[in-house]
Amino acid sequence: MASEITRVESADWRTTRRFYLKFLEGLADTQIGPLYIGVWGILALVFFAVTVFVILFGYLEQVGFNPILFVREFPVLSVEPPPPSYGLKLAPLAEGGYWQIATFFLTLSIVFWLIRIWSRAIANRIRPNVAIVFTSAIFLYAAIYIIHPISMGAWNEAPGHGLRAQLVWANAFSIKYGNFYYNPFHMVSIFGLLGSCLLLAMHGATILAVVRLNAHREIDEAESSTEGTHRAQLLWRWVMGFNATATSIHTWAIAIAVVSMVAGALGVIFSGTLEPDWFQWACRAGIVPGVIQPGTTSVAACLR
Amino acid sequence: MSTQPDTTPPGAIAVYDERQAGILRLEAFGLVAVSIAVLGLVIFAFLLSKGLASAFTYRAEHTYNYAGIQMTDINAYIQAKKVQIQPISAEALTAYNEWASKNPKTVNVQVLNQYLGDDYNNTGTIFNYMAVYVSGGLGVSCEYCHNLQNFAAYDLPQKTTAKNMLVMQFEVNNKWVNNVPRPEGQPLYQIQCATCHVGAPKNWNKTLKASNPAAFGIEGGGLPYGYEMVDEQLLKTRPDPQTGEVNYYKVTATKDTPAGLDATYRNQNQMYHQTVALGVGCDFCHYGGYFASYYVENGSFKWPKAQARHMIGMVQDLAINWWPQMQFPAPETVAQPNCYMCHRGYVVPPGASNTAPQPAQVSSPLIKPLEELPLPKPITP
Ligand code: HEC
Ligand code: HEC
Ligand code: HEC
Ligand code: HEC
Repeated sequence: MASEITRVESADWRTTRRFYLKFLEGLADTQIGPLYIGVWGILALVFFAVTVFVILFGYLEQVGFNPILFVREFPVLSVEPPPPSYGLKLAPLAEGGYWQIATFFLTLSIVFWLIRIWSRAIANRIRPNVAIVFTSAIFLYAAIYIIHPISMGAWNEAPGHGLRAQLVWANAFSIKYGNFYYNPFHMVSIFGLLGSCLLLAMHGATILAVVRLNAHREIDEAESSTEGTHRAQLLWRWVMGFNATATSIHTWAIAIAVVSMVAGALGVIFSGTLEPDWFQWACRAGIVPGVIQPGTTSVAACLR
Repeated sequence: MSTQPDTTPPGAIAVYDERQAGILRLEAFGLVAVSIAVLGLVIFAFLLSKGLASAFTYRAEHTYNYAGIQMTDINAYIQAKKVQIQPISAEALTAYNEWASKNPKTVNVQVLNQYLGDDYNNTGTIFNYMAVYVSGGLGVSCEYCHNLQNFAAYDLPQKTTAKNMLVMQFEVNNKWVNNVPRPEGQPLYQIQCATCHVGAPKNWNKTLKASNPAAFGIEGGGLPYGYEMVDEQLLKTRPDPQTGEVNYYKVTATKDTPAGLDATYRNQNQMYHQTVALGVGCDFCHYGGYFASYYVENGSFKWPKAQARHMIGMVQDLAINWWPQMQFPAPETVAQPNCYMCHRGYVVPPGASNTAPQPAQVSSPLIKPLEELPLPKPITP
């Protein structure tokens, strides 16, 4: 069997350039290394380092290079995108230039990291599924930081780089577009987010429940289901009436996580372009009543 | 590859399955029964709560404000903030009595008699006003403003400032406070010296602000509560002179809303400032599902939002027209006005009064506003 060969071979090269961390027992594989560096890895790390450096330098400049202030204010420090007046143009450093540089290098580093995952999968002779699924997360990142700002015409629509800045952005973005809870794509995205937590918990608990029967040997299990798999599947048939298979549970997991990311990205991209005000959308869709206009007494039709 | 020995006898699963199927049928029956019972309970609780809700009908915003929950009186506030009040001194009283016996009619009163009527040409009436509102409001004795030999003179610059402040107070009450959109039956509070001064002559100074940020609403340190409300944008926003339409802080997007989130961040800073200044949550003024609305889901009108919008216009007027009167002793020493200046963490400013005499409209006030700002169109149900 082909997979048999791959496994033996990989086990072979796994035995070189490695060491063991005993305390990881029970938490992760105790074997650390070998770590593959490679050209994409170096590029990704270097650009990520540049991003971090630019952001931290921006912070330091804001606190006048005072280390105490830097530590104290760290949670609220932020490298902000340029003000709306700059549109999509390049801005001076302190007025959003740092943000533009940092975002540029952050994007590059993410893309190189994607290539790294892809090329390692190919080298490992497995399918590049991880890389493919990772693109959905990158799509959401790009929607927020690049696609939406460009389609609106100002970098100012993107979040700043900072802990508080992220929260403040999420709040402002929801408010500007009329309440994001009523954005149907956001609804689907939240379904995917909570759903994937649920699914992951169910899967994790199920597998641990049948570890006694070797169900954690997922590869063997996927190839030829054994006692553990049958029991686990019986559990869910009893509970829900149906069940995933040892292989399909992983498809479910991917699907629901990808739905979360892609729906989220579409929700961001359509905000302001297709629909400026999601509350009004929800009103037209009949989810919420219209807003009463001052000067009238009854619920008027939706505003727009 | 070593596997653990399997302890389950062959065929066990099938046996399990069968036994379990029987149990399952019973369980399903039980589940349905329990679900129906729970559903019934929920419906019952819902009906009960509706009955209870109608017993405690929705409280109008103004009743809630004036029910003693938010109100505080100036003396309690002054005590809580440990403001040092200077009593009226014995020398001042002696000097006043001497002055009053010589001048039963006033000598050089220019403001109070115009706004409050001819009664204020009597020295005795002036004294009452001075003692209660002016000395009382600023927490100072007469000699802070007066030359005790001659109460009519303007020897001290404080008295000139005080005169300007009197004009400001009456003009702002006439133009803004008395025109706050209000539901029927809500008592009318007015600003007076104590509203801003709350027992201290120096109250809004930049140096004070630096030394005691908490007194200026900067609790919680740093952003966003330390937000300076008066920015360039507010200074240049004007109500449309024809329609009275104005956008101070509206941000909900339409098709033509310009790109960028800075306006939204500005709005949120102001909104946080308002919650801190009034000691309320967003839902005091808003329906949280849709901030652009003036109504909550049950159809009741949010008076506080309409009132707050009016107040934003007032703060703008204070910043444009009356800030110069506050520049004492030196220009530029005084911080810009904001909601906290009067509200101090309460819905009704602790220093506001509903007993102060009502001013009349004066056709040519002593101080002309630098710019006649049109009133924003009041928003009412
Ligand atoms: C914050 C400054 C200030 C304080 C403190 C103050 N006054 Fe006055 N007082 C004024 C001003 C300003 C006027 C002029 C009012 C006007 O023009 O309408 C005035 C007017 C008067 C007048 C009328 C003078 C005239 O022209 O006939 C008398 C009397 C007087 N004050 C007494 C007192 C007494 C007594 C006290 C102490 C209880 C006192 N004032 C405290 C500012 C002050
Ligand atoms: C809208 C708010 C407001 C109102 C109402 C107001 N003042 Fe003031 N007043 C100020 C501010 C702000 C200053 C500057 C205080 C500072 O420097 O800290 C000031 C300063 C003064 C000063 C100078 C004090 C000093 O020594 O620096 C006097 C006197 C004064 N006010 C009197 C009055 C009197 C009398 C009234 C009532 C008629 C009054 N004020 C009402 C805001 C107000
Ligand atoms: C004291 C009353 C008050 C409080 C408290 C308050 N707001 Fe507001 N808010 C207003 C007023 C008034 C406006 C409208 C300003 C205008 O018309 O220019 C407004 C506007 C807004 C808008 C813009 C709505 C639009 O039409 O685009 C948002 C969003 C908003 N507020 C959010 C909040 C949030 C979030 C909070 C709580 C942190 C809050 N507000 C607290 C009075 C208040
Ligand atoms: C110069 C003093 C002053 C300033 C500054 C001020 N207010 Fe007020 N405010 C008052 C007074 C006095 C009242 C009571 C008015 C009345 O009874 O009609 C009031 C009433 C209100 C009310 C209605 C409360 C109720 O009775 O339900 C709201 C809401 C309000 N203010 C919001 C604001 C906001 C928001 C700001 C800042 C933009 C602000 N105020 C700034 C003096 C002030």
